[in-house]
Amino acid sequence: MLRGVKRDTGSGSPAALGPADEAELIARCKANERAAHDELYHRFRRQVAGNLYRVLGDRSELDDLVQEVFVIAFRGLERFRGDARLSTWLYRICVNVALGKIRTRKRRPAAIGVADLDATSADPSLTERPETPDRTLERRQEQERVYKALERLAPKKRIVLYLHEIEGLDLKEIAYLVDSNPVTVRTRLFYARREFYRILAGDAASPVEALTEPADTEVEAEP
Amino acid sequence: MSEHVAPHRWADLWAGRVDEAERATMERHADHCRACARVRQRVTRASDSFAAIRTQAPPEVPWDTIRARVHWSVSTERHAALRRRPPAYGWLAAATAAGVAVGLAAHAVAPVALSPTTASPDGAAIARPRPAPPTRLIGLVNRASGDVMLDGVRPDDLFARSLVEGSSLATGDGRVDVQFGSDSAFALGPMSTLHLRHFDAGTIELVVDGTLDVAVAPRTGGQRFLVDAGDQVVEVRGTQFRVVHDAGGTRVACHHGVVTVRDRAGGAVELAAEQRLAVAAGHAVSAERPVALSADEAAAFDRAPPLTLPLWDPAALPRSSAPLEIATAGRRDVRVDGVELGLAPLRVRVMAGRHGVETADSAGWFRRADWVDVTAAPRGARVEVPAEPPRTGGITERRRQLRAGIDQPRLRGCTRSIAKAGLTDTYVQIEISVGPQGAVGFLNVLDTDLPSATAGCVRDVLAGVRFAPGAAATWRERVDL
Repeated sequence: MLRGVKRDTGSGSPAALGPADEAELIARCKANERAAHDELYHRFRRQVAGNLYRVLGDRSELDDLVQEVFVIAFRGLERFRGDARLSTWLYRICVNVALGKIRTRKRRPAAIGVADLDATSADPSLTERPETPDRTLERRQEQERVYKALERLAPKKRIVLYLHEIEGLDLKEIAYLVDSNPVTVRTRLFYARREFYRILAGDAASPVEALTEPADTEVEAEP
Repeated sequence: MSEHVAPHRWADLWAGRVDEAERATMERHADHCRACARVRQRVTRASDSFAAIRTQAPPEVPWDTIRARVHWSVSTERHAALRRRPPAYGWLAAATAAGVAVGLAAHAVAPVALSPTTASPDGAAIARPRPAPPTRLIGLVNRASGDVMLDGVRPDDLFARSLVEGSSLATGDGRVDVQFGSDSAFALGPMSTLHLRHFDAGTIELVVDGTLDVAVAPRTGGQRFLVDAGDQVVEVRGTQFRVVHDAGGTRVACHHGVVTVRDRAGGAVELAAEQRLAVAAGHAVSAERPVALSADEAAAFDRAPPLTLPLWDPAALPRSSAPLEIATAGRRDVRVDGVELGLAPLRVRVMAGRHGVETADSAGWFRRADWVDVTAAPRGARVEVPAEPPRTGGITERRRQLRAGIDQPRLRGCTRSIAKAGLTDTYVQIEISVGPQGAVGFLNVLDTDLPSATAGCVRDVLAGVRFAPGAAATWRERVDL
């Protein structure tokens, strides 16, 4: 049973629910109580938007994607058995919706919205003092590079790499989110990391082409 | 370390996943290798930015609009599901109707008179003040297909018009759905006419020639719902029924609730749920007996009930909603936000916002056609769904040929190097098209866990499969390695 894959609930969200409160909220939602639906939406909307936004690095169509996540969630709540925390389950839906979006974008390439990251800043509560303009610019450029490199990965590799390298999730957690098994995730992650860092290093500029043993980068799954 | 350092190893070093000895070796190498030093710097800077990405706050989005759209989408589906679930409510409707019937029996109801003025209780006006006139009802068109005439004209703004007492509707080869309460609506079928003789909260009297489907909220004690069909009058105590009146006679089918069919001579027959009655022109109602609906007839009720919107407010709806026109090549079933609407082309009332349109393919599977943004304006939006691409057959046989024709030793050769590295359970997903002569039209690798060189090798092996002449087919295949 997975508990609380995602630590961040997004700024401005109401206080986290305890397991008992969460169970009660789910029960009320299953009983089609309008107020409960509203409460669930208000509690998790920023987390959902944040997850989608960070995975995609793009604010275009964010409202449509948030809508899609909640529609899927409300439709599927009947089948939610409580194997994971509600936030984790929503995160899983976010990952799937984001994956679909990435695939669509691959088929119909559009302008990559990495520059959108400029529009928002990191959570101010995590910043000890205001950044200098140079530092801000540098940070934005680095983030743009990261998302541009991510754009060049296959969708499944991209998601796995994002969840591992940026969100810091372990293989078991990622496997739950992407509905796969840890061995597949490990394989996918192995190639994704090699490809991603090679792109970041500047493709041809990278001096290394030799295959590295997978044991070098193997990440231990939790027992 | 004489060899260069792989870029991802610098990320491992940054994350603390490299032991001290190797770290020292890597650092020593970078000190003497400008290329590796540059890679180290890039990877380290990118890794430093991960924390900032992780804590990135989402931009503000129109939360309330999204909430409204979510609610709209979910509640519309729920309403549709409730309408499709008769057993759960059938007993309730029957019990309600039975209660009403007992109440009416106590009053010894006389044969129904069509005018509400003749149905007033005797002598009640002497001691009591004159009651307030019942609230006038307003009907709004929720769905329309084909030609629809309202009060003798074909209005461009059909969805902005209100139907009131005295209004008339006529259809050509399509149908029109009108809602007049939160759970009350009727649908006028093809080649039919309808006149709203009385249309208020106390009495609803509809005069129909053709096919009329009605789904109405259970009537309370003082409310009457009558459908005048030639020589017969159908009185409803709830909740879903169909009246067909033509030159041949009148046919009434009741899906939920209780319906009483009367004729001018005073004869009456009561229909319970899932029963129907056919009265030939010129025949007395009392001579006929109700029969049970067949499974197909009952299913027909569920397929296309009159469309109701979940948030019924006749004053606000014309401003907050708009018609969405769905045009398809040929007649195809469509779904909007998961709610089946029947055959397109049609127009349907939707709330302002984004809506998902799906159309059924020839196999009956619904597939996403488009997302469409609808603004709350009188003209609404239009979406055109292109024709379905021709189906290909013989996939099973082609798939078998592909499986049998793969050069397995060559395939194993492709994956030998990664298998040695311990990587197994990999796969390639392809899309392949084979023509009638067995020629491969295209072969695309859609997804794989393999590195590009290995995937290319596997693709070459798959492209080398020879197909015999047969049916043309295009399909997707997952090849586990």
